[in-house]
Amino acid sequence: MTGPDPAPHPHSTRHPDGTGADGTGTGPSGVGIGWRPEIAGFVADLPGLRFVEVIAESVPSAGPLPGGLDELRARGVTVVPHGVRLSLGGAEPVDPDRVTHLARVAELTGAPLVSEHIAFVRAGGLEAGHLLPLPRSREAVAATVANVRRAQAELPVPIALEPIAALFDWPDDDLDEAAFLTEILDRTGAWLLLDVANVYANARNRGTDPVALLDRLPLDRIAYAHVAGGAEAGGFYHDTHTDPLPAEVLDLVGELCARRSPPALLLERDGHYPPAAELRAELDALAAVAGHPVVT
Amino acid sequence: MTTGDLAARQAALVAALVAGAPPPPGFAPGPLAAARTALLRKRAGDVARHWPLLAAALGPSWPGVFAAWAADRPTNGSLRDGWDLARHLHDRGELPALGADELATREATTRYDGRNPPRRRRAPALGRAGGAVAGQLAGRVRLLRPAPRPAVDPAPAEH
Repeated sequence: MTGPDPAPHPHSTRHPDGTGADGTGTGPSGVGIGWRPEIAGFVADLPGLRFVEVIAESVPSAGPLPGGLDELRARGVTVVPHGVRLSLGGAEPVDPDRVTHLARVAELTGAPLVSEHIAFVRAGGLEAGHLLPLPRSREAVAATVANVRRAQAELPVPIALEPIAALFDWPDDDLDEAAFLTEILDRTGAWLLLDVANVYANARNRGTDPVALLDRLPLDRIAYAHVAGGAEAGGFYHDTHTDPLPAEVLDLVGELCARRSPPALLLERDGHYPPAAELRAELDALAAVAGHPVVT
Repeated sequence: MTTGDLAARQAALVAALVAGAPPPPGFAPGPLAAARTALLRKRAGDVARHWPLLAAALGPSWPGVFAAWAADRPTNGSLRDGWDLARHLHDRGELPALGADELATREATTRYDGRNPPRRRRAPALGRAGGAVAGQLAGRVRLLRPAPRPAVDPAPAEH
């Protein structure tokens, strides 16, 4: 067994949405969008935009920030580095160079927090190429907690952890999804990046109720939420980030916003970029369902 | 508490998903196969961003061509994956002209032995692929001769 857990990370005592003791608001707020080079022009033209994410691995350690992000920062837009390759759920210790890089990107972007996934992306010397689910076991909790703490020790800002969309489960889970997630958050003091589309995808593929899962998650730990489109293929719902936002996911955002003060919402789109009007309509729909200001 | 078991099980799972190893015991085969397919589609999209002309030249067949080649080949990163696939198609005479242009351009700027990470060339160099020739001087690259294009819409012969 592991020894008693130390206190949650000191960075985590103040909510990253900026509603801390000093009242300044520098964290994610309102409706944001994942900044990608292909849509940099579209993002730059969103007049009400307050926050974006940038894929941390796409930013060179030595800088500069990819084109356009400096201009957004100058406008007061919060930039959150979103890591995709730390492999925090890997059994092996997280790669210190990758943590150093994420910390460096947090400094370059002046970010109030960073985010990563509860997942692993490599093992035994092989890269999976994408996020893979963990067994929901005590052993996986311990490995993830240890890696998150290693990362927290180096990061200049808090980290928010995102549960992933998984097409399969491990055969021998001994915790359910809510218990697994809550234990990791409790033992690390990390914030939650809740991906509403992942909640929808997992529930649909497992034949469970996504709203019932929402009711069991620690919604008070949410730093911000992800929303993305997906599509049905081969009998599974795939969280593709390349398809339109389904009405069911938007409805689930509404369910989330009915259960706590609406969190900042970030739309992720990673390819098959639609005409600007369609992306604007999705951002407007998110603003409407959450009661956030329109950013378009 | 040891993580030896978790490490081994994670390794076995990744090997099954990307390297053609048998599925680890206990996993439902249908969902695992779906995950395998989804990983290949994700990789195809990532590689297309590094090799836009190659992917565009193959058009709707790109995901299938990539997946057939990549199914049992773990990734070496998108740049190298696309490079290896372009050379593979070239060797089989299946590299489309636009892909040949892109490959020749890459060969001119960057040295890649197929095993180690590509390294930028310092000396002037020519790159050739499928009839395309690209030249690089002081880091600037130009396509000197595009690969020959197939005849457009050949009319069926009258008999």
